[in-house]
Amino acid sequence: MSVLTIRDLQAGVKTDTGYKEILKQVNLTIKSGEIHAIMGPNGSGKSTLAYTLAGHPKYEVQAGTATIDDQDILSMTPDERSLAGLFLAMQYPVEIPGVSVSNFLRTAVTQHQGEAPKLREWVGTLNASMKRLKMDPKFAQRSLNDGFSGGEKKRAEILQLEMLKPKFVILDETDSGLDVDALRIVSEGVNRAHEENNCGILLITHYTRILKYIKPDFVHVFADGHIIKTGGPELADQLEDTGYDQYLPEGESESALA
Amino acid sequence: MSNLNMQTGSVVPKYDPQNPYAYPAFMPSSADSSRRSFHVDDFPVPTVKSEEWKYAPLEKMGSFFMPYDASGETAINIAYSDGSTLDDHVHLHRVTRQELEDDPDSSFIPVDRVSVLGWNAAPQLYKIIITGTLPSALVVTVTSASLSLDSLHLFFTIEKRSQANIIIQHHGQGRLSESIDIRVKDYSTASFAFIQQGDKESQYLCSQRLTVGENARLNHSVITLSGDIARIRMDADFSGANGYLNMLGVYFADHGEYFEHRPYIVHNYPSCTSRVIYKGALNGIDTKSAWVGNALILPQAVGTDSYELNRNLLLTSEAKAESEPQLEIECGDIVGAGHASSIGHFDQEQLYYMESRGIPENIAKKLIIRGFFKELFDEIGILDLGDQLLHIIDTRLEHEE
Repeated sequence: MSVLTIRDLQAGVKTDTGYKEILKQVNLTIKSGEIHAIMGPNGSGKSTLAYTLAGHPKYEVQAGTATIDDQDILSMTPDERSLAGLFLAMQYPVEIPGVSVSNFLRTAVTQHQGEAPKLREWVGTLNASMKRLKMDPKFAQRSLNDGFSGGEKKRAEILQLEMLKPKFVILDETDSGLDVDALRIVSEGVNRAHEENNCGILLITHYTRILKYIKPDFVHVFADGHIIKTGGPELADQLEDTGYDQYLPEGESESALA
Repeated sequence: MSNLNMQTGSVVPKYDPQNPYAYPAFMPSSADSSRRSFHVDDFPVPTVKSEEWKYAPLEKMGSFFMPYDASGETAINIAYSDGSTLDDHVHLHRVTRQELEDDPDSSFIPVDRVSVLGWNAAPQLYKIIITGTLPSALVVTVTSASLSLDSLHLFFTIEKRSQANIIIQHHGQGRLSESIDIRVKDYSTASFAFIQQGDKESQYLCSQRLTVGENARLNHSVITLSGDIARIRMDADFSGANGYLNMLGVYFADHGEYFEHRPYIVHNYPSCTSRVIYKGALNGIDTKSAWVGNALILPQAVGTDSYELNRNLLLTSEAKAESEPQLEIECGDIVGAGHASSIGHFDQEQLYYMESRGIPENIAKKLIIRGFFKELFDEIGILDLGDQLLHIIDTRLEHEE
């Protein structure tokens, strides 16, 4: 049983014109096995929260803490955060030419396990996982994300999630750009990882459609850099009906921002 | 219409260097100025102001610019990669300069002072004729023994409808001026890979003449991995229509090394294709590379398809890369002509992505360098040469911190 605890987190980005604050006092606690959905309008800082937790160099923490059990993850390098059990499935996975999916993942798993997995077992595990995600076995030899379609990139993210078995998973708009079949396959992968490893999940999304496949225990409404409302799954249904306009500053609407 | 002065009759356009685009057809072509000669006096001693030599460390190369007696100490070994003895697909002749100058198949004429001096001094000149399909890759090993200047000329003729894979590897400690003449005759396919792995103080200056026949294909790879100086100039053209020239290059320079590659292609026949892709990584301090590519598409080369690309990955801020892709198009009816070039450090997003999966920065960098080269090694297409080269890169990366 592990706990990811975020306390009074304030963070932002450095720009040419100076520091710009995006996250304002974020508080959230996720325990092993829990699924939390964070929903909010575009530009509210949802992705900034994901990348700040995962240590992207673009984002700067001003105040607050984030811990996995008693480990302070904010003082860690990105690779240390991964080894501490954090995994971010990215909205735009990066293309890395000449590095095969298989070689990349085996290198990552070696870091997590402290030794290289035995080649034969490794190939078996990887193939089984790819098969469940309906990925062609040839995929393992392709360059990571290089020339992948949007759906293939997201499946590759979930493949990494299955192989690395993190304690906590952040899914950053994993549903964006997926058709119905791909959404179902990717969601099944997430649910499998959840069941097998009892990981805690932070699901960041703009739309409710992924919640048909991945059932959250808690739904948080995120606006203007912090969580402004927390509820159960029923809150998502409510948002489906009313939209985000009520959570935006007066005079703005989601459609006007888009 | 009133601006046109009809009374003076038609004006004969004249090239104006101040306004070269006024009449593009009159712009000077590199073909007009490129000199080829067997006379050393036709080529002045290079200076930093010489366009062809402006990037090279001339102060270290002086002995190549003055007449010399070649040491003749360079050892040549020719064998099949599988160890089998040479059969009648390969004919090896030691020839004289006069025989080569009289040989209608040879189109080698020196293009600069280094190559003409090398030609004049060369104690060893070989003609290697390939007929039919080679049963295995032919490996030519050139081993230098001392730092005394030596010179070598190799002339390869790939006869009609033949197929050959040829690896030419350079080892040892030496100063070598080499000239290479390759003629791929009609309907033949040849893959050549040149590997430079000289010792620390080695200096290697090479001038190549490549001729691709009608419906012939030349896959040409250059892999420069070590040596104090390696400079390779390649002049390629075609001797018939529908030729295909694929040029790949990889260089990985370290502390103080200087590597220069100049692939020049002249499209002089219709419907020929050329692809040039060179990628280099530079590590260490005082490391330098230069890449100058040119594709000249002559008026008669209708249906030409050409593309050249050079990418440089700087691993340290003390390394320096120069990259000049050039293009001269004198024909309006072509399929394509493109060029691209880049010089840059590691992509921060790539590094972050790998780190976020638990891979430490130093290992992530090695994976990126390996991938940068692997893409090209996969294209070489000579047996397992790509794997062997990747192994060399892996070994080097293991020893770096």
